[in-house]
Amino acid sequence: MPRVGIRPVGPGGLARLLGALILVFGVANLAVAPVVGEAMFARLWGIEPLTYMGAALVILGLAITSLAYLVSDIVRSRHRASDEDRRFAERWTQVTQQYFDLFNHDLGRPLRRIVGKEREIREQLQAAGSDIHPSIRELLDEIEEQTPSFRLMMSNIQVLIELETPNTGEHLHAVEPAEVVRRIVDRYSLVAADASKQIVWWSEPTEFGIVYCDSSAIEHIVTNLVDNTVRYAESFAEIGLTRDEKSFYIRVWDDGPGIAARYLPYLFDRGWTPEVARHEERTSSGLGLFIAHSLAKRYGGDLTVESITEPDSDHHTSFTLTLPLRRAPAWNAGEPVA
Amino acid sequence: MPVSKILIIDDEWESAIVKAVQRRLRDEGWNTIIVQPQSQWMVGEEFETAAIYAIEDERPDGVLLDVRLGEHRDDQFKGLEILRQIVERYPALPVLMFTQYAQGPARDTAVRGALRWNAPVDFIDKLASPEEVVLRLRRLMGSSPDIIPIGAHLLVDVGAETVSARQDRAGTLTPVTDIHGMKFEIFRELAAAWYRSPGELVPFSRLERYSEGEEARASLRVRIREIKVSLGKALGIQLGANDLIVNVRDRGYRLTPPQM
Repeated sequence: MPRVGIRPVGPGGLARLLGALILVFGVANLAVAPVVGEAMFARLWGIEPLTYMGAALVILGLAITSLAYLVSDIVRSRHRASDEDRRFAERWTQVTQQYFDLFNHDLGRPLRRIVGKEREIREQLQAAGSDIHPSIRELLDEIEEQTPSFRLMMSNIQVLIELETPNTGEHLHAVEPAEVVRRIVDRYSLVAADASKQIVWWSEPTEFGIVYCDSSAIEHIVTNLVDNTVRYAESFAEIGLTRDEKSFYIRVWDDGPGIAARYLPYLFDRGWTPEVARHEERTSSGLGLFIAHSLAKRYGGDLTVESITEPDSDHHTSFTLTLPLRRAPAWNAGEPVA
Repeated sequence: MPVSKILIIDDEWESAIVKAVQRRLRDEGWNTIIVQPQSQWMVGEEFETAAIYAIEDERPDGVLLDVRLGEHRDDQFKGLEILRQIVERYPALPVLMFTQYAQGPARDTAVRGALRWNAPVDFIDKLASPEEVVLRLRRLMGSSPDIIPIGAHLLVDVGAETVSARQDRAGTLTPVTDIHGMKFEIFRELAAAWYRSPGELVPFSRLERYSEGEEARASLRVRIREIKVSLGKALGIQLGANDLIVNVRDRGYRLTPPQM
């Protein structure tokens, strides 16, 4: 059986109802004025004030009703415009994402072939039993090193499209932050080892458990931080995962030369890179840290940086991602998806 | 040691990238089976039928599954349909989605629509290194196996509580009798962490559980030194501070396979 619902009346509806009531009362007043006037005052002169009062009520009722219609019409058209804007923005995002997927797929195809062939050459050389000449190894390593950068660039563009969509809500689900960090270390370990750098991670407590957040967002933020860290570390990079009652923290630390204090305020600006300040050729898009910072803020957290520069012997850079520990989303009574 | 069987479902199985992964899986000691539809014209539906049949027939320990199977527009997310069927019929079977759609709306749709948080399903980029694929599959299939090989020269047998070593690749693995009790537990913790994720450090707090006395840290240091001496002797090499078991910034220890 279909349910019959009662729609709540808004302020516009109440004003229209009030106007209509006054109008009806005014018309009734006009209609009964001759009878009541004569009966009440036993003379005809009593009719006139009652008629005036009825007319005034009719005018007032009409005014309130018209005004209510006018105001609600303006409000409705504004809502309609913003709904249209939102729908347009969503559609725009969808179309952009579709084009991006196509672009990603088609651009990824030749790159996969190149990387595949590079791996084949490496294996054939190893199978031949001869040591790979250092210059050849360097060339092969260079191809291998570019793949995580390509992967990151693609996902940065994807996240940027999402970030520019208005009213995109949070996507909370159960996440194991330790597993997210593990994946990122898997991805960068080889690249770091090729560059004679060491990358380690730890969590305290060791069994870190789950948190409610967006795994893609955490993975994206930390990947951007680790990508920077592996590039700038001198020999060592460390990722630490900790938590307290209110938040959990992911700290990405490296023993690189550090970032000059004058650059720190601009570090999370869109498109900013140190080369921009030095008027040099840019080596990166300057989007990674901007996206990481924006995502951290979107999920109610923060991303901060602390750095000590050379010649201090303790030179390093440390990024700390702080995200709140949320409760399980109310819509999910059982275990949520990951 | 039972050999794990990995089913590969990818329409580009002859590509260099899939072949490189297949070789690395074989190096790991796993059997690989490639699903090939019977028809010459490979469309998503045929992959779907062939994949489900192969799972039924081969009973694999893990599946490596592409998302896009075929070039037709309808086949763009065929792998996700196959995934849904696998999750429904074989909820315990680990599936690693090997795809360019490792992030973004496609993954989110699949994840929200079909999976519970603890489903043994994960996504990995097609550009991931073969090493990364192996590590991810290892974790999906079970993070603590009974036998943990550490490089070509060391082997930890968790069930028998022994660590075996050999000096040459062709030599026989001989149990190192000095490593038992608490020393074995410490080494097992380090080996399991390394197997899960080679960059993982085991904090002192976890390892100190296997120490005695009031000076737990000092006792741990002594035990680590003893393990390194015993294993160095068995491997016929001198293990320095940065070999095999490394103290990382005074926060914990991590294992690195011996370079021989």
